[in-house]
Amino acid sequence: MKKIFKRTLTLLLALAMTVSLLAGCGSSSGSSDTTAAAEETAAADSGTETTSTSDGVLKLAVTTGDGSSSDDKISTPWYNRTFATNLMFRSLLIADSTLTETSPDLAESVEISDDALTYTITMKEGLKWSDGEDLTAEDVVWSIETAQQAAQVNSIYTTAFSYIESLTYEDNVITMVLTSPYSDMSAILAQFAILPKHSLEDADPLSMESDDFWTDPVCSGMYCVDELNVGNYFTMKINENYEGDAPKIQSIQVSFVSDYVTAAQSGIADYVFGNDTNLVEALDAMDNYTGYSIDQLFYKYFIFNMSGTDGNENEAMQSVEVRKALMEAIDRAALAALYPSAALLDSGVPRTDDAYDGFEWTYDLDQAKADLEASGYDMSRTLRICYYNNDQTSVDLINAVVYYLEQLGLTVEATLSNDGTTDLFTTRDYDIGFKGKSAFSISEWYTEYLSTDSLFCGIFGGDSDFDEPVAALQAATDTESRNEALATLQALEEEKVYKVPMFTVGVNVYVSDNVKVPDGVEFCNPYYSCDLDFANWELN
Amino acid sequence: MFKILASLPPLIFSYPKRSEKNMVKYIVKKLLMMIPMLLVISFIVYMGLRATGVDPINFLVSPEVLSANAENVEALRESLGLNDPLVVQYVRWLGDILHGDLGYSLDGTSISATIATRLPYTLELAGYSLLFSTIIGIGIGIISAIRQNGIVDYIGRVLAVIGQAVPQFLVGILLIEIFAIKLGWFPTANRVDPNATNAFVDAFRHLFLPVVTLTIGMVAVLMRYARNTMLDVLNSDYIKTARSKGIPEWKVYMKHGFRNAMKPVLVILLFRIPGLIGGSVVIETVFSYPGIGITMTNAITSGDYPVVLVTTLIIAATMLICSFLVDVFNALLDPRVRLGE
Amino acid sequence: MNEATVSIKDQNKAASSSRLKKNIRKFANNKLAVLGLVIVAVMTIACVVAFIAGVDYRTPDLTATRTAPDSSHLFGTDTIGRDLLARVLVGGCYSIFIGLFSAVVSNGLGAILGAVAGYFGGWVDSVLVRISEIFQAFPQLVLVMMLIAIFNTRGLGNLLFIFVITGWMTTFRMVRNEYMTLKNETYVKVCEAFGMKSSNIMFKQILPNVMTPIIVSVTTNVAYFILQEASLSFIGLGVADSTPTWGNILNAAKSLTVVQNQWWIWVFPGAAISLFVLAINFLGDGLRDVLDAKQQ
Repeated sequence: MKKIFKRTLTLLLALAMTVSLLAGCGSSSGSSDTTAAAEETAAADSGTETTSTSDGVLKLAVTTGDGSSSDDKISTPWYNRTFATNLMFRSLLIADSTLTETSPDLAESVEISDDALTYTITMKEGLKWSDGEDLTAEDVVWSIETAQQAAQVNSIYTTAFSYIESLTYEDNVITMVLTSPYSDMSAILAQFAILPKHSLEDADPLSMESDDFWTDPVCSGMYCVDELNVGNYFTMKINENYEGDAPKIQSIQVSFVSDYVTAAQSGIADYVFGNDTNLVEALDAMDNYTGYSIDQLFYKYFIFNMSGTDGNENEAMQSVEVRKALMEAIDRAALAALYPSAALLDSGVPRTDDAYDGFEWTYDLDQAKADLEASGYDMSRTLRICYYNNDQTSVDLINAVVYYLEQLGLTVEATLSNDGTTDLFTTRDYDIGFKGKSAFSISEWYTEYLSTDSLFCGIFGGDSDFDEPVAALQAATDTESRNEALATLQALEEEKVYKVPMFTVGVNVYVSDNVKVPDGVEFCNPYYSCDLDFANWELN
Repeated sequence: MFKILASLPPLIFSYPKRSEKNMVKYIVKKLLMMIPMLLVISFIVYMGLRATGVDPINFLVSPEVLSANAENVEALRESLGLNDPLVVQYVRWLGDILHGDLGYSLDGTSISATIATRLPYTLELAGYSLLFSTIIGIGIGIISAIRQNGIVDYIGRVLAVIGQAVPQFLVGILLIEIFAIKLGWFPTANRVDPNATNAFVDAFRHLFLPVVTLTIGMVAVLMRYARNTMLDVLNSDYIKTARSKGIPEWKVYMKHGFRNAMKPVLVILLFRIPGLIGGSVVIETVFSYPGIGITMTNAITSGDYPVVLVTTLIIAATMLICSFLVDVFNALLDPRVRLGE
Repeated sequence: MNEATVSIKDQNKAASSSRLKKNIRKFANNKLAVLGLVIVAVMTIACVVAFIAGVDYRTPDLTATRTAPDSSHLFGTDTIGRDLLARVLVGGCYSIFIGLFSAVVSNGLGAILGAVAGYFGGWVDSVLVRISEIFQAFPQLVLVMMLIAIFNTRGLGNLLFIFVITGWMTTFRMVRNEYMTLKNETYVKVCEAFGMKSSNIMFKQILPNVMTPIIVSVTTNVAYFILQEASLSFIGLGVADSTPTWGNILNAAKSLTVVQNQWWIWVFPGAAISLFVLAINFLGDGLRDVLDAKQQ
């Protein structure tokens, strides 16, 4: 009897402890938000104290969990820009928060001829790299030429640079001649980081991003790498050879983290950003962070896997009726609720833009069913979706999309992939890709349609119908011709149904109150570089 | 007859000379066996990963360049030997490994460098977890056995039950939430803090929570085995004989009980090491701990097969060594196993 | 001769039925084990009933995401507004099935191979031991990944296959060692002397003697595989998201925001896993006590 009693006691204890372990932590924070918030503030306050004692260190974080950057070197600014690399590498021009208005940075001046074909770039005198070497026009020309051969380069640069007919320099003047006008060229030059030729000219462009250079890069910006501790962090110190005003913040440490929420809550990131609901909800709840919501063109869209230039086509998606039916079955307005700020979108042109033609994708399941039936689509085949963003909101969205498409009577399978774009045409196993694109102008959305786009020609089969209107858009110098070009493009887009945008999502930037951001600073799309007046940032 | 044999306490070290010779032969044989097994494993993994249709060139070169510079890419492909038959590539890769060249990951980082920084981190994590779970597990197990149904016994059993029932990653997440975020006592990620002044304190702060998480999972099993074998031993005839001889109680426990009870526990301990490795893969992800486990997970999700190959070989070698040790212990404990070979 | 055999069989039957009664009584006295059995049974039945009844576990309601438990959603809703009670129940079906299937098949495979290796010894044994060591040394993760890459899908079948081929070795070793000992016993020698077929000796004569550890191993393995599935889901290598296993549902705990603000999203699946694993461990312990030959 005693034994039974003790055994029961053991069991009860075990159950009680399990339940309290599971529920205790969650319920206390869930049911009493105020206490949780207060505790968080307290924790963060103690973080502030450590910051002040550690002699003014700005804490940044780089996420490595999504595979976009590694934790054993500085990621190349030619692919994605990060806050840290923005402080290390400068461009010819520097953009304001709109990313389209530019002013000179490494360049003294940039003059564009009336036909918008010749760019005359005069370099500033006396610029130096952090290792003391001169930063010259030679570095600029080398950088632009090398980027066209390099493996890890963002397609915004390769697309823009493919318009360059000739690129020459004499002393400190660079002459760039284009084959046809490219209206975004200045904006591109404001993003493109110039790298030191003398350090990298021996590196193979195809594997340049993994060169030893990136463990301690020679830089041109305000800061340089001080110490890199693989897997953990790197620190940055002021670049003595920076010719502008010396920044007030003496030292920066950048931790490699897996997600920003944890980093912010444990006090190791003074600056974080994101568009994920979980992040926004968590950071909004933290009193010691100031949020800035940024209106940007972050497209979330579906892309149909059509065919390659080699004629390898995806039969099932060839019918435009099928593609339309699939998109009509998705309740985009409902899905937009998953993001903290999403604006529905029907083409590359936002509904708020003057050039918007009024076309709307509508959710109509019955219509979609009828259309799909009429198209003679083989209902027995599995429809395959490929996506690559692994944040919870993207996963949630895909799960909901799968549900919507299943309502059509289809079998749907969604796969998380490493690279949503290349997987489409390297395997052609997928019917639909779900992608995100952070663009700084509408034309960037449309250049993806170019038959010369080496990436998307593998998906749209090198369809050249878009080439002419895109060129017209690139050449447009006034509103009228721009709107005209956009009207043509929207009509074409609605006819072809290759890419179907869902919405643009706003991104939120959060800065902790350890940092005093100077008045008048406007944050830009954090995936790009712009003038944040960083020299005047201060730590409290 | 059997009773007399069983009452001889220290069995392990009292084999006749002839057996010792057999033992050495057995150990050497087992050691040599590991070589072909590693070869087989590496071959299977190499072929398996390459047969998945991953074209390494897609990872090396962005698609834009792929179509723009077809000749360059072809030259790169040729220079990397990607046009040779798979078997040739395998042999070449193996040759490189044997020469100490672990090669490069698909993003161009030297794998030797990666392993050199990250393996020590994982060894630290796994080593401390093994150490603490052994001490705590065996300690509680023995006390539970000696004071059967005492307080330690009950607390131990409750802990064991929980440690085995709650998913390890959930324990880790909750520990982070409570001790790192709510209380702010420990960091949430990484292994080294940029502001650390004392390397030991820094190591303690970063290792504490992941080690606790792994230990909770390990302790449960060890505790149960230690308790059970200790109980078996304490109820055995030679302990009774020892007691009847008037040997002090603690001496009975430590000298006769402990030594004999630990043999099977050691075997179990070695058997748990693969589980520890698997656990640390998950725990490293939870704690963003820059060890070999997270390196492998990332390599797996990004299809970085050279890294997957090397990390697989490291893990396989560790497991084979454990399995080898288990065999040796088994042979020491039970001569029949060895004679059966 | 026939009559003699029959009477021995009858005697055996009578003996085993009385032993069965004794065991049942013994089991019933072990309250923890009984409780474990009750919990396992209740949870399994609830899950299966919910599955057969076709509860709606997949309709998202984007206007009611992350709602706390209330009368319409007893367990609340998840990040896209699906009913969590339904998901935990249906998820239970998948998870329990994964655990049970993998445990039974892998132990069966391990037992058969172990019997063959242990009984025949020699080169058969060496080869099988080598193979088992290779599988033992193979990181499960790599196998999972290879299968995902080869079949290009994160299907349930993949996972079951991997659990089976990576889970048989412990049973294999155990059964092999038992057979190596038992084959030298007198009754086996007698059977051999009578010219009985090897398969008969192996599976009809020796196997019943090693059933006890196998049964215990199956129960503990069910728990192990359920936890393993959750771990694999956590690092993104589990079954595809569209299949609501407990591991996939619990994946929401990856987000700190959910852990802090929406406790119901992870507490319920977490508690379901823990409770089930706990119960099945109690059950396994109880079975061990009851079936352990030493205590008979």
